[in-house]
Amino acid sequence: MEILSQLIVSGISLGMIYAVIAFGYQLTFATSRTLNFGQGEALMLGALVGLTLVGHMSYWLMIPIVLIFGALQGIVVERIGVRPALKIKSEFGWIMTTISLAIIFKNVAENIWGRDDLKFPSPLPTAPLNFLGVRVLPMEILVVVGAIAIMLAVEFFNRKSIYGKAVVATSNDRDAAGLMGINTGMVITFSYALSSMTAAFAGVLIAPLTLTGATMGVVLGLKAFAVAIIGGLNSGMGVIAGGLLLGIAETTTGYYISTGYKDVPGLLLLLLVLAVKPAGLFGKSEIKKV
Amino acid sequence: MLQIKNLHAAYGKVEVLHGISIDVPQGKVVTLIGSNGAGKTTTMRAVSGMIKPTGGEIRLGAKDVTGMASHKIARTGLAHSPEGRRVFSTLSVTDNLLLGAFPRLTFGRERGDVQGDLNRIFDLFPRLKERREQLAGTLSGGEQQMLAMGRALMLNPDVLLLDEPSMGLAPLLVEEVFRIIRELKARGITMLLVEQFAAAALNVADYGYVLENGRISCHGPAEQLKNDPAVKAAYLGAAH
Amino acid sequence: MGAIKKISIILALAAVAALPYIWPNPYYIHLMVIIGIFAILLLGLDIVVGYVGEVSLGHAALFGIGSYTAGVLNFQLGVPFLLAIPASIAVTAVFGAILALPALRVNGPYLAMVTLAFGTIIQIMINEMTFLTNGPLGISLRKPVFLGHQVTGTDYYYIVLVALVMTVIVVQRLLKSHLGRAFEALRDSPVASDCMAVSVYAYKVYAFVISAALAGLAGGLFTYSEEYISPNTYNFELTILFLLAVIMGGRKTRSGPILGAIIIVMLPNVLSDIELFRTIAIGIAAFTVAYSAFAVTTRQRTLKEVALPLAVTIGLAVFGYFMENITEHRLTIFGVMILFVVYYLPDGIMGFLRGIVQKYRPQWIQRHEIITEHGDSQHVWSVPDHPVSAKGNLLEARDILMQFGGLKALNAVNLEIAKGTVHGLIGPNGSGKSTMMNVLTGIYSPTAGEIEFNGKIISGTSPSSIAGEGIARTFQNVQLFGEMTAIENVLVGLHHTYHSNILDVMLHTPRCRKEKHAARVRAASLLQFVGLADLANEEARNLPYGKQRLLEIARALALNPSLLLLDEPAAGLTAPDIKDLIGMIQKIRSHGITVILIEHHMDVVMSICDTVSVLDFGQKIAEGTPAEVQSDEKVIEAYLGGSAEAA
Repeated sequence: MEILSQLIVSGISLGMIYAVIAFGYQLTFATSRTLNFGQGEALMLGALVGLTLVGHMSYWLMIPIVLIFGALQGIVVERIGVRPALKIKSEFGWIMTTISLAIIFKNVAENIWGRDDLKFPSPLPTAPLNFLGVRVLPMEILVVVGAIAIMLAVEFFNRKSIYGKAVVATSNDRDAAGLMGINTGMVITFSYALSSMTAAFAGVLIAPLTLTGATMGVVLGLKAFAVAIIGGLNSGMGVIAGGLLLGIAETTTGYYISTGYKDVPGLLLLLLVLAVKPAGLFGKSEIKKV
Repeated sequence: MLQIKNLHAAYGKVEVLHGISIDVPQGKVVTLIGSNGAGKTTTMRAVSGMIKPTGGEIRLGAKDVTGMASHKIARTGLAHSPEGRRVFSTLSVTDNLLLGAFPRLTFGRERGDVQGDLNRIFDLFPRLKERREQLAGTLSGGEQQMLAMGRALMLNPDVLLLDEPSMGLAPLLVEEVFRIIRELKARGITMLLVEQFAAAALNVADYGYVLENGRISCHGPAEQLKNDPAVKAAYLGAAH
Repeated sequence: MGAIKKISIILALAAVAALPYIWPNPYYIHLMVIIGIFAILLLGLDIVVGYVGEVSLGHAALFGIGSYTAGVLNFQLGVPFLLAIPASIAVTAVFGAILALPALRVNGPYLAMVTLAFGTIIQIMINEMTFLTNGPLGISLRKPVFLGHQVTGTDYYYIVLVALVMTVIVVQRLLKSHLGRAFEALRDSPVASDCMAVSVYAYKVYAFVISAALAGLAGGLFTYSEEYISPNTYNFELTILFLLAVIMGGRKTRSGPILGAIIIVMLPNVLSDIELFRTIAIGIAAFTVAYSAFAVTTRQRTLKEVALPLAVTIGLAVFGYFMENITEHRLTIFGVMILFVVYYLPDGIMGFLRGIVQKYRPQWIQRHEIITEHGDSQHVWSVPDHPVSAKGNLLEARDILMQFGGLKALNAVNLEIAKGTVHGLIGPNGSGKSTMMNVLTGIYSPTAGEIEFNGKIISGTSPSSIAGEGIARTFQNVQLFGEMTAIENVLVGLHHTYHSNILDVMLHTPRCRKEKHAARVRAASLLQFVGLADLANEEARNLPYGKQRLLEIARALALNPSLLLLDEPAAGLTAPDIKDLIGMIQKIRSHGITVILIEHHMDVVMSICDTVSVLDFGQKIAEGTPAEVQSDEKVIEAYLGGSAEAA
């Protein structure tokens, strides 16, 4: 029983990371109907840039710099990978270009930081705290707090500021938003910047808990996509539920079955949800008008 | 105020507008009528920048807005209440209206009294006032039409484009819509009105153009067109 | 042109066959074998990526399944080559179906992710299931022994060459048949496809399973070629290489995948030889500079447009000079190549070359097969697949409610369509007419209410099954298969008349040929009926608007419908064309086909409709003969907004 609670707790912090990455997928999908296949790589670059910076400054000072870096990386992806493909109205196009950018980022990261996994120093004490018999690492708590904080911040922006409302308007109806004087192209660029920024932030949150390396983004990105699908690509709350579901499923599988199969539940979940309800467990089915 | 000269527009390779010219003087209501598929909505979309014209010229006041992106045209003072309403369904009524004033709240247009204008819109559309915090997607068709018109008015536009405001509305609501159009006319707002209900449109307009298969077949003062047998035949069919 | 093409193919084949004797280097012979194997897989992948237009990130995994099937059968059970290869094909096809059946309910990025997930799971499973696959240790085996003779590398070269030639012939036959046409149709207009009884879902699954079978063949051949296989070969990098090959080579061609295979097999070799890389990079940069100069001076491209490719290719050449070792950067180079191809060579190298040839010698390029069969008035009409057995009305829609969010597009509408009549459906814009069409043809499932057609409840079933029951339609916004010719469009409508299965097509049996000929005669006859006989081999997207609408009618009639739904057929037609249209509809009715007509042109409605139903705000407000409806108060008000007249 104790082990199970332990697994659940670790599953929660893992799940929140999935939720944040999935949240990033939603941001770009809402405004542009596109996804960044390199979302995992955005996380990886954030973690590695953060690692390099942390050697020269404190963790807390490093965070805003990584956020800016993430935003810039997102803008690059949008300008090179997405905007030209949207102009030629090619869905196949942006899928292939975001994939190729992901490959490029990963390869460049391998050449700069090497192929081995590195250790990210933890900003908080590594001694576990004891909550009702369950051991929780302070860093795990930071992950949950940080993830919720950034998602709330974006939601707040969307609801309260006129610019945020402009973003929501663009997601509802791009053409009509243009009629309001909203530069929808810039909105899309902005949503990509925000998406990569949240991924980079997730990267520096999770880095102290796992190994940091050029390959850390690949499987994370894929599993976070599963979470985004489960949550429904248009819904906000669903990703948290989906993330927790997956995180806990993984930690329990890894322990009770085998670590080699640890990645399988997420992938199977993805296949299952897409087979049964492609709009996601929380999403709404779209009716196409002819 | 709004001058359309020899406008050509196409969807892909198929040309839909074959060189039409429309003049909307300041403070007047001009209506564009015609049967389905004649190209009325295409004209509106070309003017507001939703599609790019393939030829011709569009001027808003002294400014040449031909081929400009729709958000830039909106910022120069042209508001478009589009066909099918197209309100922002997950935003509240108030938020929808505020977004109509986006260029005033950000940059591009003189700010003026946004809150005051919002109150005036609520006075004009009391039903929207009742539902100010409701999500726009839950409104009925008529209420959405009110919202779309109010949203366009929030821009404080120099020219207002109204695209088929009566579409899909119950007769009582159609009456309401035209009452409001008359009210706006009394306030001196320059309007280009596209309508399927020719009679009602010609009743409220100063001047009318008849569009047939992408060409202006006739035009003249609204009173004249109303009684013109050619207009009746053009798309009212042999029925009358 | 046919003769020259045939001779050049034979010469090329002879050259390829003679290669091991001209150049007996075992290393290069092995490279050729790999090129051949990859080409087989890529020919299959092109069906999914090039024809159907979906991104599959799981083909390396399917390749792995084929590979491991042969390997495991040999390792565990000693199964010989001649049985292992067919087993690889079959097992991989089954896995392809297991993946495709759930996955192809979604498309685009969802599908890409699903195939990626599938690929990752397969790799994990091959790695972990050591009892079966020997896990990371891999499986070793030897090339087969035939009649006492040990097959050598050179012998294996010929085995793969034969397999490749057979694959090309089979794929060519497949794609030129009605199946290939179905793949193109579902890409051009999925809605029209479904409504012509070509189920988009079913055909995407077929395409995927066929490509899986070919991947399996390639995989099995690969195992025996390498004589050692291990799990980490079939990884994400390989799947990306496959995609790069397909899009770089050129989709929708047979030569494209072969060219693509050559590129991706040679690429690692080029990248490991720095001198060779530098030479090639400089060559590409020089070509780009020359082409850009030519294009800018002849005003085909602006300086701004060529700036980026110039920068990239020159940058690559410079990069080559500063680097000593490119292999570590190979993935970056693949990524840049994909970006380049997606933006500047969307049809691949073969497509680019074809474009150039088309400009200067258009007669050498034949995009479509010219169909010469002639039609006649005898072959226009045929019997419906499901004869009309209903005693009363042909179609009854009862209490139909169609709700979108808060909006009731159709509110308790009842419609009764009598056999053999032309039934008009009119009403102002936004009254629900098109929604009704979409509900009747299955594009929307009604929120409430039911529809009975010919004694069967059809509400809630798919558009392709409703089309199969005998309901055909045209569309308000023309939904033709733009890239196909007029007659090919009609042939898609005739898809249901083909009963040959995939084997018939691959072997080009007499049955297959007979059906093909019969369909072509029928299609030509239908085109003649609507007056488009001389435009039969024109691409649909090049036809004038009015003719496109007539083509839609011909295509719909090809379905042998008992009920034909026409959605504003007169829109955009001139007065004489409208007269022809009326004549056409009358002829259609006289052949026993019931027609529902949505129209705004009152003269059309009045002259041919037997009954007219009027919709307004989603409700039926009047019904009767045209004369009755025309003088109905409510109808007049609905169309003219009479009450608003009082100023």
